[in-house]
Formats: sequence, C-alpha cells, structure tokens
Amino acid sequence: MSQIAFLGAIEIGLVYSLVALGVFLSFRVLNFPDLTVDGSFPLGAAVTATLIVNGQDPWLATLLGTVAGAIAGVVTAALNVRFRILHLLASILTMIALFSINLRVMGRPNVALISQETVLTPFLGHGLSQAMVKPIFVGVIVLVVAFLLSRFLTSEFGLAMRATGANARMARAQGISTNQHTYVGMALSNALVGLAGALFAQTNGFADVTVGVGTIVVGLAAVILGETLIRSRSILVMVLACIVGSVLYRLAIQLALSADFLGLKASDLNLVTAVLVAIALILPGVGNPLARFLKRPSGEATR
Amino acid sequence: MISVRNLYVTFGRGTPLETRALRGVDIEIPQGQFVTVIGSNGAGKSTLLNTITGDVPVEKGQVTIDGIDVTRWPAPKRAGLVARVFQDPMAGTCEGLSIEENMALAHSRGGRRGLGAAITSDRRSLFRDHIRQLGLGLEDRLGDRMGLLSGGQRQAVSLLMATLAGMKILLLDEHTAALDPKTADFVLNLTRRIVAEHGLTALMVTHSMRHALDYGDRTVMLHEGRVVLDVAGAERDGLDVPDLLAMFSRVRGEELADDSLLLG
Repeated sequence: MSQIAFLGAIEIGLVYSLVALGVFLSFRVLNFPDLTVDGSFPLGAAVTATLIVNGQDPWLATLLGTVAGAIAGVVTAALNVRFRILHLLASILTMIALFSINLRVMGRPNVALISQETVLTPFLGHGLSQAMVKPIFVGVIVLVVAFLLSRFLTSEFGLAMRATGANARMARAQGISTNQHTYVGMALSNALVGLAGALFAQTNGFADVTVGVGTIVVGLAAVILGETLIRSRSILVMVLACIVGSVLYRLAIQLALSADFLGLKASDLNLVTAVLVAIALILPGVGNPLARFLKRPSGEATR
Repeated sequence: MISVRNLYVTFGRGTPLETRALRGVDIEIPQGQFVTVIGSNGAGKSTLLNTITGDVPVEKGQVTIDGIDVTRWPAPKRAGLVARVFQDPMAGTCEGLSIEENMALAHSRGGRRGLGAAITSDRRSLFRDHIRQLGLGLEDRLGDRMGLLSGGQRQAVSLLMATLAGMKILLLDEHTAALDPKTADFVLNLTRRIVAEHGLTALMVTHSMRHALDYGDRTVMLHEGRVVLDVAGAERDGLDVPDLLAMFSRVRGEELADDSLLLG
C-alpha cells in the first residue's frame, strides 16, 4: 500500500467514523435500527456541495448539510413515534424519499467541487501536502465531536436517552419522555451522518446521489469492529472505539484491495465489505480455536 | 393522597376478547395510608395500579393525585407524583447501566434533565449513603452493572430508587412475586420500613392473603373489576386468612380451592 493510499484510507475512515458515531447512537444507544443514513449521508453531501457551488460560505454550507441530516432523522422518528410505523420500515421510507430529494437538491445526479473554496482551503498551501492536511483536519473535527458526544451521553439528558433505549418502560416510570428522547437522538444521529456527508463532499470534491449506498453497512461494520476490539463500559472509550473501528475497517479494505495476490478490483468493494461485516458478526460468537490448547486439561483443574 | 372515582377500563372493546377489567371502582386513600390489594387473577388489581400510573388509559371515571386531576396525564408526567416498583425485577431497572446511573435516573424523576453531568461526586456520596441503609454491601459496588445483582437486590434498589426524588406515593405491583420466600420477606420488611420512614402513601398489590393482612393499614379485595371488601382498623386486626378466604368464597358464590390464592 502506498503512502497516499494509506493516508487516503485514514481520511475516509475518519469521515465515516462520524457515520459510525451516528449508527452507535441509533443502533446501540436508542436501540433503533435506522437505515435513514443511506439517505442522510448523500443529503448532507448534496446540500453542502450545492450551496458551495452557489457561492455560499463553506462553513455555513457544512452546517446546513448537518441540519438537513437532522431533519431527515426527525422525519424517521416521527413516522415511528407519532404514526407507529415499525422503526426499520420508517427509516427505509425516509431513505427512499431522500433519493428523490437529493436529486432535487442538486438538480442533477452529481455536483463537482473542483475549484470552489471549501472548509479545507484555508489549511492548504502551508507546506503540508493535501493528502496530509485532509486526514488531520477531519481527525480534529471527529475528536471534538467524539468528546462532545461522550459528554452529552453522560449528562442527565443523555443518561435518560440511554435508559430510553435500554428499558423504555422503566424510563417512562422514571418520568422520562421516551418519545422526546427518540426524536432528539434520531436528529443527533442523522446530523452526525449529514456532517459526514458534508465533509465527504469537500474532501473528495464531489457529491453524488449514489454515494449513500451501503452507508449503514459501513457504519455498522465500524461500530461492531470497534466494540469487538475494545471492550469497555466507559462511554468515552465506547465512542473512541467507533472511530478506531472505522479507521481500521478502511485500512483492512484498502489492504484487501491492494494485495495483488487476492486479485480484487475496486468494484469488489461491496462484496469485501459484506464479507468483513459477516466475519465481525460471526467472530464474537465463535470460541477461539486456540483456546483449547491454552487451557489446562480439565482433570488438572479439579486437583 | 390518591382518589379513584367510578373507574371503568375495558380491554379490546368490540372484539371477541373484550375484557371489562374495571367496572366502577371507587377508592379514597388518605395521606400516609398503606393499602394492600388482593384478588384472584383477572380481578383488576394490576389494571387499577396501571390506571394510577397512567400506563392504562381510563375509559370512564377520574383519577386524582394530591387533589390534582391526572386522568388525562401521560405516564412520564405522572411519574413526577408517583413512584412504582414492578413485579419483574428486570423491568424496574436498566440492567445495562450501573447502579449509580440507575439511581441518577430516579433522582431526577419529575425534574428537568439538562446537560449537566448525571453523576457528580456529591451525588455519588448521596447515593452511597442511601444504599448503605439496605445493608447489602452495595455501597462499594455503585459502578457495577445492575444486571450483576440478584432479583432481591434489584427489587431492594428499586424500592430505594422510588424514594430518591422525594415522592410521596409508592405503588407496588406484586413486587415480591418473583422472589424466593426469604428474599421476599426481606424486601417486604424493607418496604414497611421505607413506607414508615418517609411517611408514604402506598398501594401494594399482592397474591398472598398473609402478606395482605400482615402489612399495611387497610386491605381492599377486588373481584371482577369491583371492590368487594374494604377493611381497616380493628375490623381488619381481627381478621385472619381463613376469614378472608370465607369472605372471598361468599362473594364468588362458590367454594374456593384453599391454596389457589395462598400460593402464587
């Protein structure tokens, strides 16, 4: 793997770690399997890219891309909480609707950001190569978000949100409005995904309607990989594990694709992703085959 | 103070499974009274409790708590006035959260939940002082997951949690039914102590006639959604389980298998 490919993998891993944090919020904290992300990721990208192309300030564009993601989350939450549609189905409905909305936002299937000013522009041309600046810039944003998110989840409001996902009946008995916490949690989750989309458009120089396909799988892969590798009950560590999982996942993909003897092509990405996620899901349930040799024979243990 | 007037609840109205759970229940519970509620399966005991907490909507009638008409209040809003302990030890606490996090959830009951830290050192020492009173050695395990505790320990912590935010009304839904007899006695004695110490108004649903007479100041018997017995004071002191059984069979108009209510 070349240095450029390595830095590229880290950069994209960091961008998608925001998706992982969003998925962590919905799947793990709220216990709400949310597929909206496949739509809110390109929505964030589309809104931000379109605004930038139309001459808006890139920071404002990024903020509005994030807000757009939050609104998508609220729509899914409303379909589930207000209209009692099964959470999975509610999120699929939003996701499908967003495909058309993203096309409307951009007015065409993709928008290129070639010479436009982005949030990255002020940091370029100070000696560091673009390949170095991008992962550092995204990394700083991700760390700030991770710190704020873990602070939020250990606050009274965040604790109530965790109770909402863990035991809704108990939460209501403790005076927690589970509906309100579902709305806020879903908005926050998809805001993070929208932010990821906004950063994706600016680091990669384009927004495309198809860019969201499989976002949920990538996010879930990062969360599962992170919590398999780093087991902790500390919220901050759990949040950081999602980021580590996301970066490692991208490195694993990059490694698989650049290993010539495997003969994989870039178009095999989705297959590799699915196989990796399946392995990550299967592994924790399977005993370590080496454990048998490491343990003492049972006869000795009783002596 | 709890006041329930002319309460009607029907489940599955208009379907073949229509169940008239409550058919005009009237109960007034003054401040500081400890009422036990008995009745056979389907008598409406749990439904009565759930209408007070707001978990079951009322069809007709009125629920008043401390003089406030709460009939149309949703459950989370009523939680600011009443605390409850569930029958299932798993239901009343979050097993994935730590003991102190569960206590923090209960501590903010009825208040605003803001962005301040849920666990502060002040709170932790407050929780430690409270949990020490249980005498279960849990004061050194505040950071442990709730799921590591036994059913009895969880019910004891649930009881403690019910008092943390200074609630004056405690509802107990067969909270010892899932425990072994010895643990059940421990939790019941703890209940009696906590109710007395905090001067709580309490409503305890139980399947055991023994417990119904041994604990509390007043006993109410429900049958088919109606109050069929309501005794307190000297009249209640003179009662024993066989008397209660006799009354019960009289209202049912049939002989009752002795142990069907005692066991369970």
